[in-house]
Parts: sequence; C-alpha cells; structure tokens
Amino acid sequence: MAKKLMSGGAISDINVTPMVDVMLVLLIIFMVITPMLSKGVSVDKVKTMNAIAMQAAEKEDAVLVAVTRNGEVFLGSAKIPAAELPGKVKDLLTGRLDKTVFVSCDSRARYEKVVDVVDNLRAAGVDNIGLLTELDQKAKARADALAASFASGGESK
Amino acid sequence: MSMAVGGGTGGPKSDINMTPMIDVLLVLIIIFMVIVPLTPHGLEALIPQPPPPGTPPADVDRTVVIIINRDHSMQLNTEPITADRLTARLIDVFKTRNERVCFVKGDPDLEFQEVARAIDLAKGAQMDKVGLMTSKMEQGQ
Repeated sequence: MAKKLMSGGAISDINVTPMVDVMLVLLIIFMVITPMLSKGVSVDKVKTMNAIAMQAAEKEDAVLVAVTRNGEVFLGSAKIPAAELPGKVKDLLTGRLDKTVFVSCDSRARYEKVVDVVDNLRAAGVDNIGLLTELDQKAKARADALAASFASGGESK
Repeated sequence: MSMAVGGGTGGPKSDINMTPMIDVLLVLIIIFMVIVPLTPHGLEALIPQPPPPGTPPADVDRTVVIIINRDHSMQLNTEPITADRLTARLIDVFKTRNERVCFVKGDPDLEFQEVARAIDLAKGAQMDKVGLMTSKMEQGQ
C-alpha cells in the first residue's frame, strides 16, 4: 500500500493480473499434459525396496508389455492375445542391440499369466526384462536401518 | 493493491486481493510439476534362453532356486525359509561364490506380488542376475 507523495512523484504497485494469467495458463498446460504422459494401461505396480531407475522405459521406442489384474495383456496401449506376442515383439526388436522388454504387471495379476507372457517373450528371443515396480522409499529406509543394526550389533551369533 | 476511498458519492470500493489466489496457483503448479517427471523404476530379471544344442548341462548342484509354493511358503532349493530370513540366507550362500545368479520359481496360482517380493529380496542380497524359471523352461531343458 503506497502512500501518495505530496510532492508529485509517481508510485505504482505491481500489477498482479498478468502474472495470474500466465500462471493459470501454465497450470492448465500441466493439467492437460499429465494424463497424456502415461502411456499404456494403468496398473497398480508392486512396491519394492530394491527397484532401480529404468529411464529407458520412458522412451518412445521402448517395448512395454502390461499385464492387468484380470489377466489381459497389452503391448503398449493395444490389447493383444498372448500368442501374438512373440511375432510382434520380434518385429519391434529387430535391429536393436538392447533386447530389453519392460513388463509392468499389476500386483494382483495371477502369476500364471505373467509366466505365459515370459514364455512368449522367450520365444521372441528376449533375454532381459525389466519388471516395472514402484520404489518404496520408506520400506527401503527401514530395511537399510535394520541391516545396519544387524551388521553392527549382530556379530556374535 | 490500491484501495480508493471515495468519501463523496461513490462510497468505499475495494479491489480483489490477488495474493491468496497467487499462492494457491503456485502451489498447484508445483504439485503438477512434481507429478509429471517421475522416472519409472523396476527390477531387472533374466529369462534363461534354451542352451544351444551341444553345450554340457549346467551344474545342477550349484543352481540356487527360490521356490514359492501355492500356500505362500518359500523354499531355498529344498530348505524352507521365511521372507525375512531370505536375504540373510542368500548373502550367506553366496559368500563363497563368485557368480551371483539365482532363479525364482513361483506357483502359477500366486499373485504376481509374491514373486515380485521374492525377486526384490534377492536383489537386496546383491544378486547380479535373477532369472525367472517357468515350468515350460524346465521341460524344455
């Protein structure tokens, strides 16, 4: 709040309106982009302590196979029957040195379905898969603390 | 923002106070900026390929297999074990070994999370390579 100078100097407060406009636009951009970023099907991933970062899974040409809770198999965002997996995956992997396929399974998916997918990937010549999971920071911190206490205090067994 | 007080015919006027709205908007923008760039995490697993014909069969005594049964109990080769002891036991077994390779086999009726936990615990025991063993692979070999 500016006091008006009696001697006639001009004082102006910052005009906040354009800043609010810009921020609203940025907000809307982010709100629109966020749902578009998650490629493929949404699955509830398993929480694990030792998951490593897999940057390659975000890339455009990454092969992503998803297994949902009720056993449906998706390649990217398209649902396919498991028997077609070897052919399609082989096509996608031709000419690539790194034949890594990323598999994101719902935590409650039946393991039988996952085994089916793994067998089909094996038929396509894939030997390295990345099981996408969520990194559970808190559980990892607890496990690390537990391991540290074992190492320091548990030598007399 | 300015408040113009008109004493005459106009009466008091007040402009909207923008500051709280900017605060709210900034918080929302930061929330979205954090949510968007999350890197995917995962566990690496290997799928054993059928060995080319002519190679000698692998030494069965040295392979370590974590088996998860239908009733959620786990075994390390033939020794029953619980989840909390698995990591420690694996570290023990592999103290004398150079190549840290183990396999995980699960009953088809299980939920994926049980098997994922076993792989997670194996990775926690510093296994370099965790392989998934399926019944088809066993038959093929």
